[in-house]
Amino acid sequence: MIVFEDVTKVYDPDVVGLQNFTCHIGKGEFVFLVGASGSGKSTLIKLVLKEIVPDSGRILVAGRNLGTLRHSKVPLLRRNIGCVFQDFKLLPNKTVYDNVAYALEVVGEPRRSIRRKVPEILNLVGLTEKTNSYPHEISGGEQQRVSVARAFVNHPPLLLADEPTGNIDPETAVGIMQLLVRINRTGTTVVVATHDRDMVNRMRRRVLQLDAGRLVRDERRGGYDQVADVEAEGVLT
Amino acid sequence: MRLGFFLSEALGSMRRNWVMAMAAVITVFISTAILGAVLVTRDNLNQGATSLKNRVLIEVFIKDEATDAEKAALEQKIRSIPEIKSFEYISKDEALERFRKRFGERIVQNLPINPLPASYEIQVKDANQVDMVARKFFDDPAVDNDPGTHNGVKYARETVRKMLSTINLIGIGMWVATGVFALAAVLLISTTVRLSIFARRREVEIMRLVGATNWFIRWPFVLEGFITGLIGAVIAAGFVWLANWALANWLKSSDIDFLNVRIFSMCWQSGSWPAGLMPTLAVLGAVLGALGSMVALRRYLKT
Repeated sequence: MIVFEDVTKVYDPDVVGLQNFTCHIGKGEFVFLVGASGSGKSTLIKLVLKEIVPDSGRILVAGRNLGTLRHSKVPLLRRNIGCVFQDFKLLPNKTVYDNVAYALEVVGEPRRSIRRKVPEILNLVGLTEKTNSYPHEISGGEQQRVSVARAFVNHPPLLLADEPTGNIDPETAVGIMQLLVRINRTGTTVVVATHDRDMVNRMRRRVLQLDAGRLVRDERRGGYDQVADVEAEGVLT
Repeated sequence: MRLGFFLSEALGSMRRNWVMAMAAVITVFISTAILGAVLVTRDNLNQGATSLKNRVLIEVFIKDEATDAEKAALEQKIRSIPEIKSFEYISKDEALERFRKRFGERIVQNLPINPLPASYEIQVKDANQVDMVARKFFDDPAVDNDPGTHNGVKYARETVRKMLSTINLIGIGMWVATGVFALAAVLLISTTVRLSIFARRREVEIMRLVGATNWFIRWPFVLEGFITGLIGAVIAAGFVWLANWALANWLKSSDIDFLNVRIFSMCWQSGSWPAGLMPTLAVLGAVLGALGSMVALRRYLKT
């Protein structure tokens, strides 16, 4: 689904985003990206969305080479990638319903099918009662669920989440993560960049750890920290 | 294209950001109103200038003792000059009649004979040629021309010269003013639009992340600019029209008669309205609004 081949991205002036980064994320995987702030997690996500372009290396998303992807085709790429952000990025003057519907309007979905799909997905994330609320009228956890609903309403093959639980209390965060897992079960590839140690340790999914733009660990059923540390933690508790 | 969706997006955003929308409408209103006022003023001054030019008359007075043959020769001569647009023969009786109307019955009653000469009133096609045409009658045997005592050929030579150069100057000045105000209108409107889009740049960013194409994002903004420009310009056109009408009416009914005001009122009395100004202003406003939106959006739609 996502292939990075020796990708380097350096920001002005000399701030390393990613350095000789290579990895392969298969279809239907659920992957955690971990690492300190500034380790390159967000750079990676922006590269996948083609918000920024790498200085060198090759990136393939769903078989498409982003390097040769024309500007005019970038929106088409993004329609195949659902996005969830730490700050939700909801349109502040649209209702919950319209925020989700916007993602469908963008792809030219017929009115009738929008009216069917939006309530369906809002039901899935448990927000039926907030359909006509505005983002500022609902809680952070609810806003994040709206943003997950918007990301998934098109049933994209790939869903990226950048610190999806960063602004949410731990209990609500579990709900969001469960939603992502459910989405993953439908066959959607899910990539989650996170700082949430507990969450990663509990879920035991593939973990990619970044440090200063380099891939330092790729573990199939990893925890937030190196294996040794996790085991040590296990001994202590 | 989903016009319905885009239109409802545009109207919705205008309703939500009504302060900004109002500011934009007012900006368009002010700039197009000024532009419209300049255009109307120019038109009226042109009208006035034309009517002034048309009023330049050459009066050729005929000797009482001129023979019929001499008179006929004079008329023949007038007919043969191509620069002359029209002429009118004023007989001695008609001249007296005019005099009576102007100065009253009593003076005329006391006259033993009719002292007024017959004359031709000649209009030339182009005010610039007045001097040249007038000179042709100086030596005519039928004309009552006696250098030193009185002129048989009367025309406002200096006045015409000054008037012509003034009119030309005003014409140039008005073109310059039109250009300056048109430019000011463009700048003002584009600044306002840029401000309103800057306030919504986050919205644009989110639309792009969801995979909206540039045109999908652009259309509501362009429509919004179009509607804003149209409203502002239509109000401006109406306002200028009303002001023009009121001014013309006021000048017609008032008795003000100072020298300057009289020339001014002569220019404005018809309340001349340039053909097609209303639609021109409306289209101009709408197009400026739409283009302004597109230009202002460009920076947020890169990539």
